[in-house]
Amino acid sequence: MSDFALELQQVCAGYGENPVINQLNFKAARGEFIAIIGSNGAGKSTLFRMILGLLPLSAGKIIIQSHQMDSKKDFDFIRTKIGFVPQGVQGGNLPITVLESVMLGNWGASFSYWRRPTAEDKEKAAKWLEYVGLTNLASKDCRRLSGGQRQRMNIARALIREPDILLLDEPITHLDKHSQEILYSLLAACRQQIPHLLILMITHQLEEAAPLTDRIYLMEKGQLIEVGEAP
Amino acid sequence: MTLLDYLQIPLFQRALLACAIAGSCLSLIGIVVIQFQLTVVRFALMHLSLLGGALGILIGTKPMWGAMIAIVIGSLLFGPLSSKINLEPAITGAFLMTGSLAAALMLFHVGGVPAMEVFGLFAGSILTLTALDFWLLGIVSLIIVSLFTLCYREIQLVLHDADQAQWLGVPVSTIRNSLLFLTGIAIGISMKLVGALLIDALLLLPAMAATRIAKTYKQLLVFSVLFGLICAVGGFILSLLLNLPTGATITMFGVLLLGICYLLKRK
Ligand SMILES: Nc1ncnc2c1ncn2[C@@H]1O[C@H](COP(=O)(O)OP(=O)(O)OP(=O)(O)O)[C@@H](O)[C@H]1O
Ligand SMILES: [Mg+2]
Repeated sequence: MSDFALELQQVCAGYGENPVINQLNFKAARGEFIAIIGSNGAGKSTLFRMILGLLPLSAGKIIIQSHQMDSKKDFDFIRTKIGFVPQGVQGGNLPITVLESVMLGNWGASFSYWRRPTAEDKEKAAKWLEYVGLTNLASKDCRRLSGGQRQRMNIARALIREPDILLLDEPITHLDKHSQEILYSLLAACRQQIPHLLILMITHQLEEAAPLTDRIYLMEKGQLIEVGEAP
Repeated sequence: MTLLDYLQIPLFQRALLACAIAGSCLSLIGIVVIQFQLTVVRFALMHLSLLGGALGILIGTKPMWGAMIAIVIGSLLFGPLSSKINLEPAITGAFLMTGSLAAALMLFHVGGVPAMEVFGLFAGSILTLTALDFWLLGIVSLIIVSLFTLCYREIQLVLHDADQAQWLGVPVSTIRNSLLFLTGIAIGISMKLVGALLIDALLLLPAMAATRIAKTYKQLLVFSVLFGLICAVGGFILSLLLNLPTGATITMFGVLLLGICYLLKRK
């Protein structure tokens, strides 16, 4: 048993012959805000994929909230407690409103096959849209959002799960200075309101994030090295 | 003969019903074709059906049987094949298309298969529908509609953002492969209904028009079904009234509808 929200022990994973993550050890407690830096291709996004159960381990253990992740079922369960904002701005060509897209972020947590979304799910989506300042765009077609607006929508989509762990993969790319500040004050507010929320954030622009973070890690040679203050 | 006279005849009744079912249900598949960008895939399956037809004649069955079997196998393999060799469906499609066409042409030559008989596959007609075709259409339509209803949110997620669907735990590849499979079957059936050259009228045009003007996912589904129904039934009736070829009239309806939608909502 461990008290850590997230613990990685001697984890190895990769793609085919390419061992991206190599004997990585990492621990994070509830309520921490941790920044992860590292050069392109270092394996930062891969780390998140692994935590989400999208990439099988070749060795080691992932322990989340005292549960060791062994099977798909473990991950299915733990995913209901994780919010994830992926890297890059993607989006299909499907007509879908911003509100609905945010609501879909709760799939598996509050609704799924046999439990269809209720009015309550819609209200929740509206609440989180307001939180990221997109209320006026609620009924807008997703396909017509700007990159920054889409990023904020994605954040609402992660927060609607009311997660215990929030994984942010370069959330401030595409955001202008003003929106970056909004995002950071948003994250600060999140931490106040949800004291147990663990935030892991991958970023290339550390300066602005540094004041918020508790610890900073560098991803290098498949491992996470604590570097403390901004290098 | 007036329209009412026509509709006294069982053959025309069945054709009208088939139009209604195909128009409203197969247009849902059009959404999949557009969102997954499968336009090449449908060409691939058409060519695969040529190969199947040629093989069918070689072993002494009707070309339609060979074609149908080829399409079923092709669409079953399609999704898994694309993800296994890590290729876009469009590229897998290009492989299949050229490969099967070349193989079919070789068969025509080596096996002495009469090419025209096989190419006859491409000229389907709603008026030559057999009872078997009709039931097949009904069952496939039922499956399509059930899937879209039962997995409403899941399909929406997969089409909207497959990466997100994946990490949320939606069985993305199962859903995608089922949709690809149904797409293949729907293409096969439409070939029989309107002929290969006019598949788009049934499958694509209504969904394209709906994609253009819909603001939400629900609207997209409803408009696709509605447009498909209007095109197929409207086209069929008009073709009877004016004594025009059915497939072409349905297509004309679709083209007009799409044109109107594009005019209504310019990007
Ligand atoms: N789906 C994949 N299949 C094979 N190799 C991959 C895949 N995704 C990533 N890689 C490889 O794994 C390594 C780590 O990639 P990853 O995306 O984790 O890097 P990153 O640290 O997030 O980089 P960036 O800062 O550019 O986002 C890279 O060498 C990349 O080429
Ligand atoms: Mg990355």
